[in-house]
Amino acid sequence: MSTKAEFFARIRDQMRKTRGLFAASVATRPEHPALQADTIRRELAERWPETLEKFRREFERVGGVFYRVASVDDVPSVVGGIAREREARELVSWHSGVLGADLSHALEAAGLDVHEMPAAEAEDAASRERLRAIAARADLGLTGVDLAVAETGTLILMSGVGRPRSTSLLPPYHVAVFDRTALVESLHQVGVFLEAWHGDGAPPGTGAVINFITGPSRTADIELTLTRGVHGPREVHAIFVEGGIRG
Amino acid sequence: MTGRGRASLMVTCLGDLFFPEVGVSIVRLLQRLGVAVDVPPDQTCCGLPLFNSGYHAEAAAVAARTVALFEDSEHVVVPSGSCAWMVKHEYPGLLASTRLARQAREVSARTHEFSQFVVRELGVTEFTASVPGRVTYHDSCHLLRGLQESQSPRTLLGNLRGAEFVALPGADECCGFGGSFAVRLPEVSAQILAKKLANVEATGAGCLVACDAGCLMQMSGGLKRRKSGVRALHLAELLDGGRP
Amino acid sequence: MRDVFLQEALTIATTKFIDLRREAFEDFPEGEALRDQARAIKEATLQRLDHHLETLVANIERLGGHVHYAATSEEARTIVVDIARRTGARMAVKSKSMATEEIHLNEALERAGVTPVETDLGEYIIQLAHERPSHIIAPAIHKTKGQVADLFSREFKRRVEADPEVLTKIARGELREKFLQADLGITGANFAVADTGTVVLVTNEGNGRMVTSLPRVHVAVMGVEKVVPSLTDLMVFLAILAKSATGQKLSVYTTLVRGPRRAGELEGPEEFHLVLLDNGRIAQLGGPLREALYCLRCGACLNVCPVYRQIGGHAYGYTYPGPIGILLTAMLEGSRSVKDLAHASSLCGACADACPVRIDIPRMLIELRREVREQQIAPWVERVAFKVLARVLMRPALYRLAAKAGRLLQRPFARDGAISRLPFCLGDWTSTRDLPAVASRTFQERWSARRDLPL
Repeated sequence: MSTKAEFFARIRDQMRKTRGLFAASVATRPEHPALQADTIRRELAERWPETLEKFRREFERVGGVFYRVASVDDVPSVVGGIAREREARELVSWHSGVLGADLSHALEAAGLDVHEMPAAEAEDAASRERLRAIAARADLGLTGVDLAVAETGTLILMSGVGRPRSTSLLPPYHVAVFDRTALVESLHQVGVFLEAWHGDGAPPGTGAVINFITGPSRTADIELTLTRGVHGPREVHAIFVEGGIRG
Repeated sequence: MTGRGRASLMVTCLGDLFFPEVGVSIVRLLQRLGVAVDVPPDQTCCGLPLFNSGYHAEAAAVAARTVALFEDSEHVVVPSGSCAWMVKHEYPGLLASTRLARQAREVSARTHEFSQFVVRELGVTEFTASVPGRVTYHDSCHLLRGLQESQSPRTLLGNLRGAEFVALPGADECCGFGGSFAVRLPEVSAQILAKKLANVEATGAGCLVACDAGCLMQMSGGLKRRKSGVRALHLAELLDGGRP
Repeated sequence: MRDVFLQEALTIATTKFIDLRREAFEDFPEGEALRDQARAIKEATLQRLDHHLETLVANIERLGGHVHYAATSEEARTIVVDIARRTGARMAVKSKSMATEEIHLNEALERAGVTPVETDLGEYIIQLAHERPSHIIAPAIHKTKGQVADLFSREFKRRVEADPEVLTKIARGELREKFLQADLGITGANFAVADTGTVVLVTNEGNGRMVTSLPRVHVAVMGVEKVVPSLTDLMVFLAILAKSATGQKLSVYTTLVRGPRRAGELEGPEEFHLVLLDNGRIAQLGGPLREALYCLRCGACLNVCPVYRQIGGHAYGYTYPGPIGILLTAMLEGSRSVKDLAHASSLCGACADACPVRIDIPRMLIELRREVREQQIAPWVERVAFKVLARVLMRPALYRLAAKAGRLLQRPFARDGAISRLPFCLGDWTSTRDLPAVASRTFQERWSARRDLPL
């Protein structure tokens, strides 16, 4: 195989042949992304209702189902309702510490079999297998949301300890709970947050993946007919908690 | 009418050989507008067919002789968007390292496609031609995308008395001519043409207008073969009172 | 072109994509500025490609990933097969990747005893059909639901209904098993962010997430030109990519993968490999097709191309169809390979208009035609014809003579100023169209006689 040196030598050889097609520069990175992210948060705190309304419109446009509740205590009954309508029982959820609220008892009271993902590292491959099998069997996956993007109706979820990728991927119904602290307006602002998260270094428990989820899984590969739930969830539900999740 | 300067007509090879009446109409229209028109002798072609097929040295030679023919012109008016594009867009590059580099840039700057000359240079948007019936317009690719011009022909057509201008669905879609493309891939070219003509017929227009001899050859050839009642005309012919 | 269904399917699909793209950009006033910016970022990145790739490599290795360097398709195949062998993989699930199509990876995996399973529904369908993709983003656009049902019926040995919902559900169930069992996940990469070592996958179905989360090993094959310097640059492309491809603001899943599974994660591969692919790209950094390296593989140019819309993707005969496909084929296989394909274009420019990064495809097609002419590989009849044409256009006397000769020769064929049939190869025009006759007096002849021009 080519060695790294050979490969780069060829690149540099070719680069020497030309100065390029026109004078061009890359995008300007924010100098202090964490500070800028804070500023964005503060400004958005003042206009969160408009941002939420825009998010709702875009989220519904891509096929998401939106709910608004006053307090986090109202969430379990909404989830229970979603489950009942679909004759679903098995629910897998992010760890309550990550979600920001302990909803397991209330969810069980609402008729669900709840499997919460652990906060600690799974001890061995067998445990990982077991937990993965639970997610694969589950009907509903309950997660939080790191950023809810109004411009596109997108939910951004980081992976990590207590917040596995499979929760929003394997079960056919994905339910995401969020509050105003997750709202951002635009993809441009998302970029600032991504830079900030990267710049901060990775706190313990951070996973390797960040997922942008814009509606349910879909394809139009057969005669351009839209079908949902190809590999990922066939429905995405977003519950906005007006009073805040952490109360 | 007050004098509106001088303009030289670059008649183009297809215009000269197959559509001389277009050149006649342009001369008449411009003279009526007070433009003094001349036609430099010994014109052949702008070189686009050579250029498009990769014969660039040969195209440069043709470009050089064309630049020499027009180097003293105040304005150069061209009936075809593709030829105007060739002169404006490619001549400076083709002749950049020759002794005609400066003249090429100057001729390029002073060259205009016909509708652009009338509307943007002369500021004229109305003609007295009265045209009954429905008229529709096809955007030729080089005029639309090469010279960024979609408005001037529509302005002129929209102001014709009596005529009902109908938008052509897919007006910005290629007619399938593409120069040698039409004979290199004749079946594909014909299928693209068929789609265009189906759109034309759907408008109910009696007259199809374009600003390019290549497009007109292709589309009128197809319309005649279908024995269609639709006539394909150059914009200048219509403005000159050409009956649809 | 004889296939009526293909024709209808192509027309419906491409028209739909065109409408969706137009609506998306109509609603998006910042779009034009973002396209300019995206184009500039691509060019600026190429101007320091070595630096950005070095940064990418360093970051991936820092995260515990491995980087491999493939100069050719063959090297790339060998690298992936070696990884498969070394990790004991028997089955690999694949997310849609044109790069892996380009290097013909599936056949190599099969030869090595590793079963590749395409998981993108369109790719899964054509894999069952033993065909190649016919569109860059909608690979099975040429198949009817009846044909897909037949394929599934044969594969699963039971009668399957020709309903897209039903067919999708079957594929979901089948492929879910494969995702959970596979040892190896193979993807391409839409982008790789140098600053952070992030590989980015843009998908709609969720298979990209599955393939990069469930198997033990993840291999991403990526052309070197896909690197972008920062996350901020990435957002510019994300803002315009899906809109250009399908009219969506964003695809359903945009997945940012930074290396293998981290401590404490339930899912994620133990090993992550990035295969950097040259395969003719690097030579174009200093070459005439450099601008083609900006390509985001969105398919917008295919949808608007009058030729692609008539003939479909398979007719191009190579991995990448459509306008950009001709350039990419020249890049990968050399300019001789496109001596005919370079002429499969009317140079209408609709592709350049639709391209999110404004690649001037017609300019490069003409450049390829020039190369073909320089190499003198066109048929001699054609070369002679153009030489003659050049001579005639240089000499007005010859030109006038040719006009007179034309008038003479056309006499048996011309009627009412039109010619409806010409012999030999000239019949290519007249088989479907009339040709105007050479005028009895050319414009210049009338002008010099002057008295013929009523004023």
